[in-house]
Amino acid sequence: MRIAFAGNPNSGKTTMYNALTGRSEKVGNWGGVTVGSKEYKLKKEYSGSNEVIAVDLPGAYSMSPFTPEESITSEYVRTANPDAIVNIVDATNLSRSLFFTTQLLELGIPVVVALNKSDINAKEGTEIDVEKLSEKLNCPVFKTISTEDKGLAEVIKTAISLAGTTQTAPYLQADINLHDKNAVDAEDRKRYNFVNKIVADVEKRKVLSAETNSQDKIDAVLTNPIAGIVIFAAVMWFVFWVSQAWLGPLVADWLVGWIEMFQEWVAGSLENSPAILSALIADGIVGGVGAVVGFLPLVMVMYFLIALLEDCGYMARVSAVMDPIFKRVGLSGKSVIPVVIGTGCGIPAIMACRTIRDERERRATSMLATFIPCGAKIPVIALFAGAFFAGASWVSTLSYFFGLVLIFLGALLIKGITGYKYRKSFFIMELPKYKVPSLKFAFKSMMERAKAYIVKAATIILVCNTVVQVMQSFNWHFQVVEEGAENTSILASIATPFAVLLIPLGFGVWQLAAAAITGFIAKENVVGTLAVVYGLTAFIDVDELEMIGGANEVAMAMGLTSVTALAYLFFNLYTPPCFAAIGAMNSEMKSRGWLWGAIGLQLGTGYTVAFLINQFGTLFTEGHFAAGFVPGLIAEALMIVALVLISKRVRSHFDEQYELHKKTAKAAA
Amino acid sequence: MNMATIIAVIVLVLILFLAVRYIYKEKKKGNQCIGCPYASSCQKHSAGNSCSK
Repeated sequence: MRIAFAGNPNSGKTTMYNALTGRSEKVGNWGGVTVGSKEYKLKKEYSGSNEVIAVDLPGAYSMSPFTPEESITSEYVRTANPDAIVNIVDATNLSRSLFFTTQLLELGIPVVVALNKSDINAKEGTEIDVEKLSEKLNCPVFKTISTEDKGLAEVIKTAISLAGTTQTAPYLQADINLHDKNAVDAEDRKRYNFVNKIVADVEKRKVLSAETNSQDKIDAVLTNPIAGIVIFAAVMWFVFWVSQAWLGPLVADWLVGWIEMFQEWVAGSLENSPAILSALIADGIVGGVGAVVGFLPLVMVMYFLIALLEDCGYMARVSAVMDPIFKRVGLSGKSVIPVVIGTGCGIPAIMACRTIRDERERRATSMLATFIPCGAKIPVIALFAGAFFAGASWVSTLSYFFGLVLIFLGALLIKGITGYKYRKSFFIMELPKYKVPSLKFAFKSMMERAKAYIVKAATIILVCNTVVQVMQSFNWHFQVVEEGAENTSILASIATPFAVLLIPLGFGVWQLAAAAITGFIAKENVVGTLAVVYGLTAFIDVDELEMIGGANEVAMAMGLTSVTALAYLFFNLYTPPCFAAIGAMNSEMKSRGWLWGAIGLQLGTGYTVAFLINQFGTLFTEGHFAAGFVPGLIAEALMIVALVLISKRVRSHFDEQYELHKKTAKAAA
Repeated sequence: MNMATIIAVIVLVLILFLAVRYIYKEKKKGNQCIGCPYASSCQKHSAGNSCSK
């Protein structure tokens, strides 16, 4: 049998689903985290001898879909005929939630109401008469606390026992013309009145929602258009400082010590073995993978802090602060959500774009969301910040805020190309209540990501590093490359043509080009490949107990200045994301033209940013332009010409589509 | 060929075999983004398709 979990956004459906199934689906203290349906078997302790499949649905406010994810919910409960529905109701906001409940009760499928977040109600002194509510709705109602597994067993037991039975709906929609907007609005108002009457009968509140409380006062500051952005910048700087300049490196130092010791032991054990074997295992596998794993503590600390920020309700406020800016540049207010999710991983960020109704805004958002550096780029940022900027946390902060600026500029560019005019749109997001963040939740979230990071390092990164090491060790005749003849290796000959294109950017050497290319498989590969091609492992100085800094071994080996290092870092951050994210982009955009446009825009952006940093940085620091200035300018000019041509083409299609009378005139002639 | 070399070759082959097998299995299951913390959250992935399709 199947039990569907339906309710308003941020009512705790996925938290309940995770508790009942043992899954670890993404949860967050804001609405819109779940964008698709998911199903899994219930744990035996809840389902007993029955085989019960739980279906977690995206949040919906009503059965009349307003957003794509609401359509998934309404379509599922209408057409998939689940055996029972568990309606998760946010007990702290009963009047809003019961509108959907009364609609679900009309479907003829047994419904069990779970009054979730009952602990918050208890703290706020809000009392709900459960028996009376159950009587008024004609369905079982239970108080639940998903985060503490309270009341869940009763809900499931009742849902299973009700399968195949019928309930009498407490409210039936009148027989109206559903195409008549006024009739539908009037009917909705009637339903609201019915719900409000029930709420008045069953609920006693100490704190009235109309009163201004301390949360509202905090919101006034955190969502202020100016103060909100300044506070956001300060918060993010603190997150990066703790994760990448203080606590992260402190833990990483211990880990790197062990990795180094292991690498030395492996190299020592293979002393009498062929050099190629030693290089492959000690440098390629242990060195390359170790270099990536060495950054794991930094990534973990950052994810822990971001999880705390999400859980306490702050990230939802960030969305509110960014909303007006996003709308101004031609994106949707909802574009904020993919951008915030993008700090973790680009793929769910792109998937989250499907909540945006307007096709152009949806495509533009999925095109731009990956400008925000994802978790896989943290090792790259940390490496360059450590090697060239003495571990300065401003490098990370700048990378993220510059990513935001590129999103705005990119959006303006798309707006210009597509001939989009500003229109008033609304972004409605319920701000969750502030709460003390759960350390358990943050720890769990951090450990899940750590596990995924290790899996990636032990599979994709390991195989890539081995291939890179082999390609670097052999030439095309499959002879071992002699010392001093590294330029004859397979890797060098493949990467050199790309390296030539990168001369105007200041890093036209095959090693750096190869690292950038392998980064398209997984961004952590940039670090792994650099470790392999330069024979480096220790990106964290174990003697100094800090991230490597200044003119050290890494900086010397790469032969980059601070300017070219920043250009290389930004090139890797803002060129297209990994292939998996490009695939996700393809699926969300559903247009080859837009997909190639996105890849072109990202390549062009990464190239232009690196070019400008290298050329103007060199001009300021050394008083002259860097090598390849003129060829770089030609490349930029070609990009501008391409943009103009694309814009003209798009606009001509637009004109063709809407100039109807000219078409008829032409046809008549 | 000494014992250390033989062991190293076996370990190398084994590690690579296991890594490639894992990647292959995941791809077959429809997971295009190995290691992605959200792979299991992907709607199509859990239905047996690629999350990027």
